Amino acid sequence: MPEIFVDGVAIEAKDGQTVMEAARDAGIYIPGFCWHPQLSVAGNCRLCMVEVEGDTGGWMDIACNMPATRGMKVLTQSPKVKERRKTMLEMVLLNHPVDCGVCDKAGECMLQDYHYEHNGAASVATVAKHRTTKFHELSKRIVLDNERCVLCSRCVRFTKEVSKSHALGILDRGDHSLVRCDEKRSLDDDPYSDNVVDLCPVGALLSRRFLYKSRVWYLQPTPSVCPGCERGCTVDLWHRKAEWKFNALDPRQNVAIERVTPRENPAVNGPWICNKARDLPDLLERPRGGAPMLKGARVPLAEAAGAARRMIDAASSPVALISSWGSNEELAAARDALGPRFRCFVKADHVPQPGERVGDDFLIRPDKNPNGKRARELFGTAPVSLDGADLVLVWGEGFDFADVPRGAKSILLNAFLAPENGHADAYFPTTLQTERAGHYTNFAGVVSAFAPIRRAPAGSVDAEALFGMLAAVARVPA
Amino acid sequence: MSAARRPARAPYVRKAYWNEPAMGFWERAYLFEILRGLAITGGVFLRNMGKWVTGRKGALTTYYPEETRRDYARNNRGKHVLTQRPDGRPQCVACNMCATVCPAKVIEIEAGFDPADAEHPKYPVRFEIDYSRCVFCGLCVEACPEDAIRMDKTVPDLPSPDRLQMWLGKEELLAWKPERDVAKPYPPAPGGHEGTTP
Repeated sequence: MPEIFVDGVAIEAKDGQTVMEAARDAGIYIPGFCWHPQLSVAGNCRLCMVEVEGDTGGWMDIACNMPATRGMKVLTQSPKVKERRKTMLEMVLLNHPVDCGVCDKAGECMLQDYHYEHNGAASVATVAKHRTTKFHELSKRIVLDNERCVLCSRCVRFTKEVSKSHALGILDRGDHSLVRCDEKRSLDDDPYSDNVVDLCPVGALLSRRFLYKSRVWYLQPTPSVCPGCERGCTVDLWHRKAEWKFNALDPRQNVAIERVTPRENPAVNGPWICNKARDLPDLLERPRGGAPMLKGARVPLAEAAGAARRMIDAASSPVALISSWGSNEELAAARDALGPRFRCFVKADHVPQPGERVGDDFLIRPDKNPNGKRARELFGTAPVSLDGADLVLVWGEGFDFADVPRGAKSILLNAFLAPENGHADAYFPTTLQTERAGHYTNFAGVVSAFAPIRRAPAGSVDAEALFGMLAAVARVPA
Repeated sequence: MSAARRPARAPYVRKAYWNEPAMGFWERAYLFEILRGLAITGGVFLRNMGKWVTGRKGALTTYYPEETRRDYARNNRGKHVLTQRPDGRPQCVACNMCATVCPAKVIEIEAGFDPADAEHPKYPVRFEIDYSRCVFCGLCVEACPEDAIRMDKTVPDLPSPDRLQMWLGKEELLAWKPERDVAKPYPPAPGGHEGTTP
C-alpha cells in the first residue's frame, strides 16, 4: 500500500495502481481522453500529464501510465501542468472542426469541457484545417466523423479488449490517421458495437439511431432495467424533459425513449450494454392494446373485470400462464391472487429471434426474458401443460392461442396490439415497465429497479392492480 | 385572552411629495371639474366618430386588424425571418441555440440529416414559432451562430380567437426576399465564409 502525495494531500494507493487510478479513487480528477477505467492504457492523448517533484528537480509524466510508488509527490495543478494541458488542447483543436452546433455530443463532450476548463483561448493556427471524410459509415448503426476524431483509440481498444470483435483499427499516421473497419471483419457483427458511441470522448462516433434526434440538454435519464434478456442490465432511458415539451411538433416525442445508455453497475453489466438494449424503443414502443375487451367488444374496465371474475368463479380447472416479463411486485400479486385457485406455469414471453445472438460469455444470456428467475422461484419450473383446463389465463406475449383446449375460456393480459386480443373472452391491456415502477431479479439473483418515464395510456391497467381486483373471488377455495 | 403582544407600531405619517396636488376652489366644488372632464373625453369621441363616419383619416383609433400601422422603427423587433443560402435553402443548421436561449420557449425545431451535403449535414425539417407566447426579446437573433434568424421590423399580425393558431412555420418564415440587405449582401455570395475557428 504505497502512500503518495497528490497536490500535497496524502492518499493511499493500492499495489499496482497507477497515479491516475489512485487519484480518481481519492476523488481527485485528472483530465484525459484516452484513459478509461475498463480499457488498457494507451497513453496517447498526453492530457493527464502531471508533474512529479524529485530531489533533482522532478519530471513530467502521464498519470495514466505511471505506477504509484511510495512517497511520490505529484502536482496536478502546477503552472507547468496547466501549460502542458493548454498546449495539448491547442494541438487537438488544430484540425477539430468545432462544429459543436451540429454535433450530437455537444453538452456532454469531454473536449468541450476541457476546452472551457483548461484552454479557453481561440485557435492560434494560421493554416487551414485538415479536411477528411464526414459521416463515414462504420456499420449500419454507427457513422464516423473523422474531422472530430481526437485519435484516443478508445473504440479500437474496446473492440479488441471488451467486445473482442477486433473490428476497428487506425490507418495511416499523424493527422492523416483514420479509424476504419478491419477489411475481414465487420462492426455489424459486433453486438456490443454501440458502446463505442458512449466511449468516444468527442462526437466522432455517432449513433444512426440518435443522430440529430435531440440536443442532449433537452433530455433527462430515468433509471431502468433492460428486459432484453435475463442479464437485466441497468440502463438509463433518455426522454424529453417536461419543461422542453413540444407543442407544435409530434407530441409522441414528448414521451418517447430518445436513446438508451448503460447505467454503470459493477454487479451486473459494468459500464456496457449490448445493441439490443439500444433498440429498446423497438421493443417497448410497439402499438398498444387500447381498451379492455370482452370477445372483441370494448367495455369499461369494471365490466371486463367483473366478467373475468365470473369466469374464474365458474371454472373448475383454471390454468394461468405467468409472464416472465412481470416485475417482482406483479409476480407477488399474481401468486397471492391466482396461486390458491389456478395451476400456474411460467411462460417464456420472448424467444431468441432469427439472427439474434443467443448467448455469449460476456453479457448476452439465452433466456430473452428479464424476470424468469423470480417467476420460476414463485411458480415452479414445470413445463406448460393445458390438459383438462376449462379456463386459461394468459399473461403476456409468446403464447399461441391455437393451444387453448376446445371449449375452454380464455383471459388475456397483454400490453401490445395483437390479433389474439380480440379472440380472448376477456382482454386487459396492461402497462409497460416504462409506465410503472418495479424491480426485476436477474439470473444471478441481483434485483434492479426501474422507474416510469411516462403515464400509462388511457384504458390500460396495472397488472398488479388487476390481480388485486381478481383476487377477491379467486381467493375463495374451490 | 392572553394573545401574544404585538410590537407597538409607529404611527402612520403620510409622506410629503414635492408635487403634492393642491386643489383650488373650483376643484373642490367638484361638479364643474367633472363637467370639464366629460367635455374633453366627449369632444375626442365625437371628433373621432365624425372622421370615421365621413371616412376621413386621422382618427386616433386604429381599427386593428383592418388597419395596421406601417411606420415602425427601422430596428423594431417584429416578425422573425429565416435567411437563405444562394440556393434558397435555409441557413439554419438546426443547432437549437435559439430554442435553448428563448425565455418563453416558443421555438421548436425538428432536425433532419442530409448525408449528401457534408458542409451542412443538419438542416431544419420543421421550424415553428409560437407568436402567442413570443416576447420579441431578440435573444434568438443574438444566439444564432449562422445569422440564420433575424427579426423584421413589421409585426406578425396574427389576430386569432384561438391561441393555437398563432404558430408560424418554416415556409412562412422563409418568405422574406429583400432586394438589398444593408447588414450583409443578400443573397450571400457563393463560396462565402463557411469555416469556423475555435
